[in-house]
Amino acid sequence: MGVTMNEKKYTKDHEWVSIDNGIATVGISNHAQESLGDIVFIELPLVGKSVNVKDEICVVESVKAASDIYAPIDGEIMEVNISLESDAAIINQDAENTGWIFKMKVSDPSQYDELMTEDDYKNFLEQ
Amino acid sequence: MIPFTGFNMPINYKSGIINEHKNVRNHSGIFDVSHMGQVLIENNNFHINNLEKYIPLKLNNLRKNKSNYTFLLNENGGVVDDLIVSLIDINSKFFLYIVYNASRKIEDEKIFLKCAPKAEIIHSKNCLFAIQGPKSIEVLNNIIEVPVDMNFLDIKVLKYKKNSVIISRSGYTGEDGFEISISNEQAEAFVRDLLENKNTMLCGLGARDSLRLEAGLSLYGHELNENITPIEAGLSWALDKDRLNDSSLNGYKVLLDQLHNKPSNKKIGLISFNRSMLRDGMILFDNNKNDIGKITSGCFSPNLNKSIAIGYVNSHFEEEKEIFCEIRNKMELVKKTNLPFVKKNYKKNGSNNE
Repeated sequence: MGVTMNEKKYTKDHEWVSIDNGIATVGISNHAQESLGDIVFIELPLVGKSVNVKDEICVVESVKAASDIYAPIDGEIMEVNISLESDAAIINQDAENTGWIFKMKVSDPSQYDELMTEDDYKNFLEQ
Repeated sequence: MIPFTGFNMPINYKSGIINEHKNVRNHSGIFDVSHMGQVLIENNNFHINNLEKYIPLKLNNLRKNKSNYTFLLNENGGVVDDLIVSLIDINSKFFLYIVYNASRKIEDEKIFLKCAPKAEIIHSKNCLFAIQGPKSIEVLNNIIEVPVDMNFLDIKVLKYKKNSVIISRSGYTGEDGFEISISNEQAEAFVRDLLENKNTMLCGLGARDSLRLEAGLSLYGHELNENITPIEAGLSWALDKDRLNDSSLNGYKVLLDQLHNKPSNKKIGLISFNRSMLRDGMILFDNNKNDIGKITSGCFSPNLNKSIAIGYVNSHFEEEKEIFCEIRNKMELVKKTNLPFVKKNYKKNGSNNE
């Protein structure tokens, strides 16, 4: 099975991932932003950092709690969404689009294949 | 919704904590605080003598139809609970009306019933609402005629649709506002009537916490507990100093000593310099990494757009020294500040100021 371009996939830690030309864009799901409530700060990951799946790489602080964001797959951080530094609430407004958090170069595309599809994630949330 | 002191309570309603918080600061917000304890005790010398063992006020000298912030003290001067005690006139008979914390109902009621066996615990039949914020007077005036000379900490029995309700001009946000004790039967209609006015909205526990923290107000279980005295908590203003020479008051020796010699800890306000949230339980350090205290409450302040906190540090810690907070294994410099973070806006003698 090949990778469908731009198909959004999800992790059990409520991150979404979409891949284009070997670059993954990552954010938190709309469900995650709803349960976190008003997001006020984000500590973005360091650009250039190599990360492994499940590494804690950045932190989202909402008025209720701090939540770790994990690397959904192995790779290297290429870019971070700087606009979140001044306005983290963008994640509340548009978590799965302009509220993206970082982009990473993908080392192992098969890890992406193993993530949940949108339907899988919906079922996962209902469980 | 979260379970809280035996009730299911909302952290926030639809619009979220920050919107609710700002609506209270700029307009008005309604809090359902029916979880809190409410008791009526007939005002007589027997009850007063008994209660004065625990309450550091001269209960005989309370002003009529006035509320007072005070405490129940244990034998060591520690705080069993913080309370609002009011002397109110109900049908020409005077009562002590006490509002206390939901989390302390068991401990408090043991004391109330010991002091006044016929104390009437009324929170099972009366709801309690707080309407807070500068527009609250307008919102409330639409449905209840509030006397124009009613000021901060005044309390009165007024009428809502021909039924008596207890209304005090007080609250827990630092803003002008009211607390209303009303029968369960009328509670829903009353709140729906208030919500007809679009300046107000329902607010949850999240905004209640961030508003009280900005106003520098203590929360039982955080800034206050059985091992902290009112003096350590920076609340000596709420003690009647004459009572500290009265051996019938619990912990009077400890309190008198702390009043003259510094207590071992002091309460401070803290502001984060960066993008980290200060939260309850975080440890505070000096620049040599010595543990000097800890945070007891922290939140995001919508008014300051920064994280703020209240904590205790060792009294020997020097004022001008830098304070660091350990956040996710990093030492972050934090700014020490005086409380409150946001100026109080109470109504006193016709004007709204501190």
